[in-house]
Amino acid sequence: MLALCTFAAVNGQNDIWRQDSLPEVVVTGTGTQHLLKDAPVQTEVITSKMLRNYAGKSIEDILGGLTASFAFNQDDMGSQMQLNGLGNSYILILIDGKRIHGDVGGQNDLSLIDPQNIDKIEIVKGASSALYGSDAIAGVVNIITKKHREEGLLIENTTRVGSYGDVRQHNGLALNYGKFSSYTNFQLQHSDGWQNTTVEHTEGSEPPITDSRNKTVNRHTNWQIAERLTYQPIKNLELYAEGSTYWKRIYRVSGRHPHYDVKTWDMEYHNGSTSVGGKWNRSKTDYISLDVDWHRHAYYYYYTATTLVEDYEKSAGTPYYPYFPYLPDQKELQSDQQRTMAALKGVFTLPYENILSTGMEFRYDWLHAPTRVKGGKASDWTAAVYVQDEFNLIHNVNITAGLRLNQNEQFGTKLTPKVSAMWKPGNAWRLRATWSQGFKTPAIRELFYRYVRQMSGTYLYLGNTDLKPQSSNYFSLSGEYGWRGLNITATGYYNKVKDMIALVTIPNYQAPDEYIIQYDPVKTRQYQNIEDAKTYGVDVNVNYQWREFAFGLGYSYLDTDAHQYDTNHDVMRKVTIDGMAHHKGNWFATWGHRFSNDYRLGVGLYGRMSSTRYYQDDGNGKGYQTWRLSTTHDLGHFKATTWRIEAGVDNIFNYCDRTPHGLHLGTTTPGRTGYVSLTIRFNQGKKLSNKYKSNISKQQNNDED
Amino acid sequence: MKIKSLLIAMMAICLTMGFTSCSDDKDDPIENNYTIYQKAVTQTVKSQKKSDKVILLVAFGSTWEQAYNAFDATVEAYKKAFPGYDVFLSFSSAICINRAAAGENVDPRNFYAPPFWLNAFAEVEYMEIVVQSLQVIPGEEYTRVINYIKDFANNANGDISDKYLSIVDLKLGVPLLQDAESDVNLVASELNKLYKDKANDGVVAFMGHGNPDSYDTYKANVRYTQLEEALQQYNKNYFVGTVDMMDNFKTDVYERMLAAGITSGKVYCHPLMSIDGDHGHNDMAGDDDDNWDGEKFTPNDEGEVEDTSWKMYFHHLGYECNNSTMIEKGLLELPTIRQVWMNHTTDAINGDPLDFYHSKNPE
Repeated sequence: MLALCTFAAVNGQNDIWRQDSLPEVVVTGTGTQHLLKDAPVQTEVITSKMLRNYAGKSIEDILGGLTASFAFNQDDMGSQMQLNGLGNSYILILIDGKRIHGDVGGQNDLSLIDPQNIDKIEIVKGASSALYGSDAIAGVVNIITKKHREEGLLIENTTRVGSYGDVRQHNGLALNYGKFSSYTNFQLQHSDGWQNTTVEHTEGSEPPITDSRNKTVNRHTNWQIAERLTYQPIKNLELYAEGSTYWKRIYRVSGRHPHYDVKTWDMEYHNGSTSVGGKWNRSKTDYISLDVDWHRHAYYYYYTATTLVEDYEKSAGTPYYPYFPYLPDQKELQSDQQRTMAALKGVFTLPYENILSTGMEFRYDWLHAPTRVKGGKASDWTAAVYVQDEFNLIHNVNITAGLRLNQNEQFGTKLTPKVSAMWKPGNAWRLRATWSQGFKTPAIRELFYRYVRQMSGTYLYLGNTDLKPQSSNYFSLSGEYGWRGLNITATGYYNKVKDMIALVTIPNYQAPDEYIIQYDPVKTRQYQNIEDAKTYGVDVNVNYQWREFAFGLGYSYLDTDAHQYDTNHDVMRKVTIDGMAHHKGNWFATWGHRFSNDYRLGVGLYGRMSSTRYYQDDGNGKGYQTWRLSTTHDLGHFKATTWRIEAGVDNIFNYCDRTPHGLHLGTTTPGRTGYVSLTIRFNQGKKLSNKYKSNISKQQNNDED
Repeated sequence: MKIKSLLIAMMAICLTMGFTSCSDDKDDPIENNYTIYQKAVTQTVKSQKKSDKVILLVAFGSTWEQAYNAFDATVEAYKKAFPGYDVFLSFSSAICINRAAAGENVDPRNFYAPPFWLNAFAEVEYMEIVVQSLQVIPGEEYTRVINYIKDFANNANGDISDKYLSIVDLKLGVPLLQDAESDVNLVASELNKLYKDKANDGVVAFMGHGNPDSYDTYKANVRYTQLEEALQQYNKNYFVGTVDMMDNFKTDVYERMLAAGITSGKVYCHPLMSIDGDHGHNDMAGDDDDNWDGEKFTPNDEGEVEDTSWKMYFHHLGYECNNSTMIEKGLLELPTIRQVWMNHTTDAINGDPLDFYHSKNPE
């Protein structure tokens, strides 16, 4: 986003503010391009302008700060992202329309996304499985990356440093010569982590612990190199090949209280991807695309001290001799998830203003989890066909209807529909209604799990190949009013998820005899479709733009009602969903002014709040409110080089939740932090006549051209 | 042409990028880890070996500092009482072993798992090995101890010399409440000596661990009932319940109290476990009372009230039960009870060597 801004400054004639007042085009709701105001499916956009002004350090920072519906509570297992009450497992995250890969316990690794290379983010709340398949239950977040279509050579460097050793490094190298273009992206994210309190939660007669070394957020480092090549052999046909490699480590300090803060391993992640594909633009709107990709996400324990593990596979294999020792600096693979996908999609304009989207997908998942799956390895495939039509039923009423047929190796077939309607009673008003279904295919782990653990007796955990997909029904009604610089939207929704999968205790005789003989378990637990959840609420967004000022206000009301399985006590319980807060909000005011050709100042004040976050155990997270000030300074250009500085203070009023470790926090912020960032961008291009640019991509990236 | 070949080369790089990230991810088991680890254990034994005879104390383990202190004190007491023997302590829980051995600015405590200690003992050729179970009842955990010795005696891994195995003297010290009469009566008598004042002042409720029904090896759970009966010979205010034993949860203790007409007064709680660890601090003396809805408790299918500590349970039922009535001591912290375990060690030393070749259960 920074680079984009400085690029605009290079071109001089492109005023940043006017540029953003160009109509926003969105794709996520229908898979086809629409002006935001006319999108048949309600879509929330974090525009490139908002991203530039906010200067966020991570995707968690951006979504948490610029929307009211998301909540995060970063810990070692991931970001603990929630969208309107449902967790990451039920949120589909796309990068340029393709699903992100790799999770640990359902938590996607959001560091795979370079925050400096995001053009905009589109959010479609509610179920979208008819179009996107599995996981699109709470909503879809589509991260649209920058496309770097400038002619010639582009080199950019962004270095952002902040409190607590925070470093965000971004380098881009783009080459655009004729039919050929290349873009190389490097990103590095690092934080030393921080500790909001040294107190551990102890109760009753437990001795107090006041010198805990546990951090609120652990030190972590990740880096990624990604390369994308495109080639346009003929007009309107673009071929591409992509590859990326990624590494991450979460470092955990060890203290002196074995019960509380002694740890013997760090977490390490390796991620890689490769894809090829092409897009044939048959007309301004019609296209056919084919994408084939392979992704891998591997998760390791990186041992920092000698660690004995209870591991049947590596040990002598009897319940009495279940030990295997790992030594410092050795790694143990926990899971290696590999996914191969092929997707063919076509969009066709038909007579009577019908837009037909249709496609087929094939997905093959392969899991290598030596200690957690029978035989260490398992696989699963899914094939799907889908069709969606957008048409004007009568004047001013648009209907979008879609249907997906999924065929899965384990659960068989599943039909998933979606119907959306938009009514335009006048130029300023839009009313939208949606009924859609969502589903989530059982994870391979849930199908083939086989894990044995010693805890005063042998505990046996089993997968279940009879699992059904988790499924949902989503209803929403929304109204939008837009007049001049003012835009107001209000959406009411009801999301009902059933057949949610949980580990439940089963009688031993239901487990396969061979396991009972081999392990002699004291308890056996198996994945079953047993839980359900209802979430309902109202989201309101108000945006107003006046001259050089912009204001925004978001509010989200949420309530939940769920039946969850309590593993500690083997009962179903009626509960509020963990992490749920009734009220969340965000607001901002920004102002920007170009003082001269060589200097433009932008100032933004941002706020966010959440009421109490509710949890079943270990206390509720306190409500909080934080404010942020950010400034941007475009320093003009020297020859082909442009400069931009960003600086700001997050959490101005130094709010910090010092609740003892072991209890839930409302927010993990360390208190007031500062940051400063420098972007240098070099662009030397020459116009070449034989470069073909698709209309689609032009339109899609219109705020860059 | 140049651009085309460059293009092809770069496409190839792109496609292999993802794969190359995995080249260092071989997941072959690390073959010599056992050897290296065993060497470290053997080194520990070698550096401390003073005698030809050794006692290995075996506990489940803990991550609590109070428990470590109790274990350390027990090792010291053993060293004093058995001067001709080297004494080591072993955990069978891997997590407890790992946490005790790691940590910042702490001297590591090496509570290796029993098989590693036993192999090290063979390596340095101790002529007499006494394994003393620190379990309370001869239940599930105790069977693990027996099996460690059996695997060792049978040379299950084939890495000990047969000659050594044929001459080494193997002994096994039994758990605290091994014998249904002599041990139970002695422990009851010693506990009464310690707590008779408290029993005159209110209920003294001991909280044992117990085995779940499906795991009630050798029906050892009955020892808790037998101990309660023996204690009640001294005072009707003694009760013995458990965390895991069917029909002997805190709810059952309460039923028995009501049947005895005890509806009010003080309730002292005391862990009936070798150490005061997780169960003592949380299940017994924790602040958890989530099950209490302001008027009543809702028991689960097995009759236990979950999510509620003993302290809060009896407190809500109208008894005087609070932090001041929690007796936070593990049995190893009571020298007279610890002596019963030591008596078992003496008995083992003086008894015949055990025949592990023919019976898994040397009872």
